[in-house]
Formats: sequence, structure tokens, C-alpha cells
Amino acid sequence: MEGAVYVTGMGIVSAIGNGVDQNLYALLHKQSGIVDAKLGEKTVKVGRVPLSNEQIVAALGLGHQPISRTALLGMMAAREAWGANEHRSNLRTGFISATSVGGMDRTEVFYEDFLTETPADFAVLIYHDSGRSSEDIAQYLGINGWINTISTACSSGANAIMIGARMIQSGRLDRVLVGGTDALTRFTIHGFDSLMIYDRNWTRPFDNTRAGLNLGEGAAYLLLESAKSLEVTGSNPVGYVTGWGNSADAFHQTASSPEGKGAVLAMKQAMRRVSPSAISYINAHGTGTPNNDASESEALLTVFEGRVPPFSSTKAYTGHTLAAAGAIEAVFSLLAIREKTIWPNLNFSEAISKTALVPVIEPQKQEVTAVLSNSFGFGGNNSSLVFSPF
Amino acid sequence: MKSRVFVNAAATIGHQPVFGVTGFVNELKPLQSGDELIQPSYRDYIDPMSLRRMSKILRMSLTSAKEALRQAAVEIPSGIIVGTGLGCLVETEKFLTNFLTLEGLIPPTAFILSTHNTIAGQISLSLNCHNYNITHTQNTVSFEIALVDGIMKLEEGEDNLLVGAADEHIPFLDRVASEWGYAGLRLTSGTSFFVLSSMSSSHTKAEIIDVEVIVNKVEHLDSSITRFLDRLGLKADDLDVVLESGWKGGSPADTKKQGFIEYSGFYPTASAFAFHYAVDYLQTVDGAKYVLVVNDLNPNNLGLVLLKSVEI
Repeated sequence: MEGAVYVTGMGIVSAIGNGVDQNLYALLHKQSGIVDAKLGEKTVKVGRVPLSNEQIVAALGLGHQPISRTALLGMMAAREAWGANEHRSNLRTGFISATSVGGMDRTEVFYEDFLTETPADFAVLIYHDSGRSSEDIAQYLGINGWINTISTACSSGANAIMIGARMIQSGRLDRVLVGGTDALTRFTIHGFDSLMIYDRNWTRPFDNTRAGLNLGEGAAYLLLESAKSLEVTGSNPVGYVTGWGNSADAFHQTASSPEGKGAVLAMKQAMRRVSPSAISYINAHGTGTPNNDASESEALLTVFEGRVPPFSSTKAYTGHTLAAAGAIEAVFSLLAIREKTIWPNLNFSEAISKTALVPVIEPQKQEVTAVLSNSFGFGGNNSSLVFSPF
Repeated sequence: MKSRVFVNAAATIGHQPVFGVTGFVNELKPLQSGDELIQPSYRDYIDPMSLRRMSKILRMSLTSAKEALRQAAVEIPSGIIVGTGLGCLVETEKFLTNFLTLEGLIPPTAFILSTHNTIAGQISLSLNCHNYNITHTQNTVSFEIALVDGIMKLEEGEDNLLVGAADEHIPFLDRVASEWGYAGLRLTSGTSFFVLSSMSSSHTKAEIIDVEVIVNKVEHLDSSITRFLDRLGLKADDLDVVLESGWKGGSPADTKKQGFIEYSGFYPTASAFAFHYAVDYLQTVDGAKYVLVVNDLNPNNLGLVLLKSVEI
């Protein structure tokens, strides 16, 4: 199909598993990956990938360089999405990745030493900038030429997928690995804590008692291909990226507008070629913060004129993985299509009183025709994607 | 490219007296040690309340963005696309220092303002612009990638894209440069914003013929340039000026070649200054037809932008 954007590969590493199969198992069995972790004297709940840097380096067969954890997680997921694909001189292949922290996991350790005048290795800072983490991942897979990093906070992963789809439609690339990666850092945990939106308890998206997010880490990538590329590779599509939208809320640097104006615009753009009734499932942004879930609920009621399709937030499984979230949830959306199952929203007990929206709370078997996935970020950056079955 | 791409406005804040000025190519002076940034009156563009809360990169970016929109007579662009190599470093360093040293409650402001997309987000807030809003960060080619995104938006039927570049200096970078063996490199800040349109108008300054970005695969600079020109049916002789970073020093043997770092200083998106230089050259130098901007700041990554003069 001319102009179609096919998804032919998926890869993921998150708190609920290394690889698509482990993630699927946890989704089906309602197993959250969020655990207690020490942050100085405090205990915080985080969605940590249960693999050390050393274990990942060994699994990837890398030498001992101080590569950021962001890049290491990205390599794990990107390798799975790339699979057995080969480099071909007749196909232009690119890599578009999202990250919000880049090499901050290394930099913050360095900078603590630097401030306390402990000898510190300045070479670590080579890995700091976000673009570098993408270059490292791309190099690991042998992809070069078009490498592009998106940094729009929590909507970055969705934006990377959107830009990849546009690059294919424009004819600039034949196939592109798209997604995002972020490691847990003290920088972001302290950051959300300082904003008073880090719940010390389990995050409870869309619940009336929700009190904030739990951060997570992880990475996920999709391999997107054009029709021309499919003819060459013979890959089996798992679905299409059928729509995308990005809009600025232009309301506040961190908070969403009460009516979710930017969110409404992004969802409507993404659904330009799909009627609201065709959406079987919405993987919501649903961070568990009072502001996001209230605003997103209002936006959903507006877009779907009061008849909101089955929806859930999967962030109580993985934690909020920031720039990886849109990509991780894209994989969950495609798995919903493939498995004909809607994923539950964990830790929910009572609907938000004003909007009364009740998410899906048990794995729900049904035909899934199209999935809408939302990702909203700081700076009022709102993005929505629509995936549909092949 | 599927659309013609005109540059209808250009605004830069840096070390040269170019902000809001046309015809500056002969007025540039190589940077001397101790030269400060030439900053316009931010109050003419930003209300004093907001201005007080803004870090250097935000006030420079917002002012450049608003000046570019003013020049092009565009109120609301159909997209805001920003390229930045290192993002909001002042606030990033401040928040790092705060959580590593402060006991108890940490103020959130620096965290809020530390994310790369604070720049594009603040511009959308200030303009009340709900349209496409994106931030690209790819080392030294962040600006060129932002340009390509803007061109794609024009091809998709949008018009009047605000495309810009921003990077800010912190003293810590000088320490890093010296530890890495680049002591003496003139690191600094700079912001440039442009308005791209598929239609020329009385505001049009130059036309973009093509942009190429190569990451992780720059085999040979000269042959990459030749391939780029070949594809466009041009030869090196057709170019009036070739702007290269020239960051390794020494004057180029080729008289067409001109270094840009000596005027802008070194920052990851300094090629946006060179782009503005090219636009100004094509707009004001009689008979000039083509200027090529070669972004070779980083040996692994290459950005090539070919600009052409427009007939008036």
C-alpha cells in the first residue's frame, strides 16, 4: 500500500521483563515491576530493569566502556526489534530515538565526585549528551547516516515514532528503527519529588486517590518499513502506524490545562483517518498524577463525546519511563492487537469523582481493530499515535 | 525536495552585531578573548515578569524567535522546531548541584527548566501556539535535523515553520574542554531562529536548495561534498562561498572558503550562525548565487546546507 507505514519488528526491556515475551507474560498476569529502592535515606518505588550494567554489557558482548545505562538499555531493546534483519545497500535505514536523560546516570556520579573534589574521570562526559546515546545504539546495530534524537520530555518516544513514520512517508527513509530509552537517575527522581508528584506509595493511575507517579526505566523500539522496503525484506508486518498527532498545550511549563486542550488536538490529529468508533482500546498516558489524569480524562470525554472506549494506563506495571514511555506503550498497543487483549490498569479502585471514567482492570479478550496511544510531556508537549492490525 | 523552501526571516543572538540587521557580512570581526555576547533589549520582546524567571538560553531563544516572526510578519507559526546540542545547561547544572548538596526540600524550578524542550515549550507558551512543537538533539547536527523536519512539514502542506537552534555555555564546559585536550577553544552560547515558507514574499531572503545530514559515517569530507553537489547538478565552481567551521585553525588554501567559528565561537549548533551568514550574504552581495554551509564541527557527523539567492 503506497504511503503505508508497516511495523515489522518490536523490542522492549522494562521493569516487567527483558524482551517482548516476558513483558507479555507480566501484562497477562498482572505482575507489576515496581519495587522499593533506596535513594539516599529515602525509600522510593521505582520500575527498575532487574539487570545490572555489567550483566547488560556481557549480554551484548561489549567491551568495558563507560557507556550510559540509557544507551545500554536502548541496545537491548533495539537489538530485539532489529532481529535478524540485514543491512542492505538498496534500502536507506535510519535510527530515531528518544531520550530525556541521555548519559545523566553517569554524569550525576561524576559530578558528585567533581563537587567533592574526588578524582573523577572526565572521559565519562563524552557519553553525556542525548545524541551520543543514540549514536552508540545505532553503531551497535551498524546503522548510520540518519540518526536523530528527540527530546520532548515524556512525549519523546511517541514523537520519535511519529517522525519515523513521516520520514518514511516523505521517501527520505525506506525503513527506520524508532523508539526511546531512559535510565533511572537520581536527577529525575529528585526532580519529580521536588515537584511533589512522586507518590511514595504505589502509583494509582485514574484512581480518585491517586497521588503521583512512580518513575521507571526501560527502552523499546519498533522497526518501521515502507512498502518498497517490505518487497525487499519480505518481513511480516505486525501492524500499521496509521495516525499521529502532536500539539502544544501552551498552558503551563509543567501542568496540563484542565480541559486538556493540547491532548484533544493531538488525539484528533492522530485519528484523522480513523473514526472514534473504530478505536477498540486507548493506552492512556495516565501517569497517576492528579493533574495529568484529570486533564486526560476531560480530553478523552471531549474527543469521544462522552463514549470513551475501553482504556487503561500501563504505568503501574512499568513506572513512568519518561522518553521511553511512548515507545514501550506502542509495543503494548501492538501486543493488544496481536493478542486480541486489552491490558489492565493496576491499582485502581475508585473512579475520579468528576469524570467517573473507569479503566479496564482485568485482561480483557476482544477483537482489537485500532489502538490510540497517548503521551504527554512537560512544556505542554502532547502526542498521540494510532496503530492498527495488518 | 518536494517543496520549494524559502527563508523569510533570520534572527541571531551571539557575538556579532547581527540581531535585526541585514547586510552584516562585511561588518563581522573575529572574536577576541573577553568579547561578550551582544544582547538585544530583551524587554522589547518579553514581559519583565517572565524575563526575570528565564535563564540565558530561554531569553535568547525567545527573543530570536519573536524577532524572526516579526520580520516574516507571522503571528502564529504552523510549527516550532528547535535543535539543541546540549540543551538548558545552566538549569541542568543548577539542579544537579542542588540535589547533590542540599538537605531537605529541593526547589523544583531548575528541574522544570532543565529539559531540552523547555525552549520550544516556552516559545509555544509565549505565542499561545498549539501547533507542532518538537526538539531535536543530535550533537553538532541538531540544527540541520531541525531544518529537515521543517522542510518535511512544508512538503506536508504546512507553512511558516519557525526553525531554530540554541545552545548555552557554562564555565564548567571550559574545564571539560581543557581536560579533553581542547584548552583554548572558544566555547560560547548562541541562538538563531528562522521562518521557512514554501512561498516567497517581499520578506524572502534566500532559498534552501537541499540539506544533508550524515551521522556516524563521514568517510571523506571532500568526497561527501562532491557527491552532494553532484546530486544537485552543481560543481564546486558554482559556489560563491563555502562556510566551514575552521575550528582547527589555519587559513584555508581555497579562497572561497571561510571559517565561521572565528566569528560565532564554538557551540554545538554554531552552524545555525553560518546559515544566517549565508542567508545574509545571498541577500546583500551583488551577483552571489550559491553558498554552501559545511558543518564539520564533529569529525563523525556532517551537515551540508546549500542556499541560493532569490531574484527580487
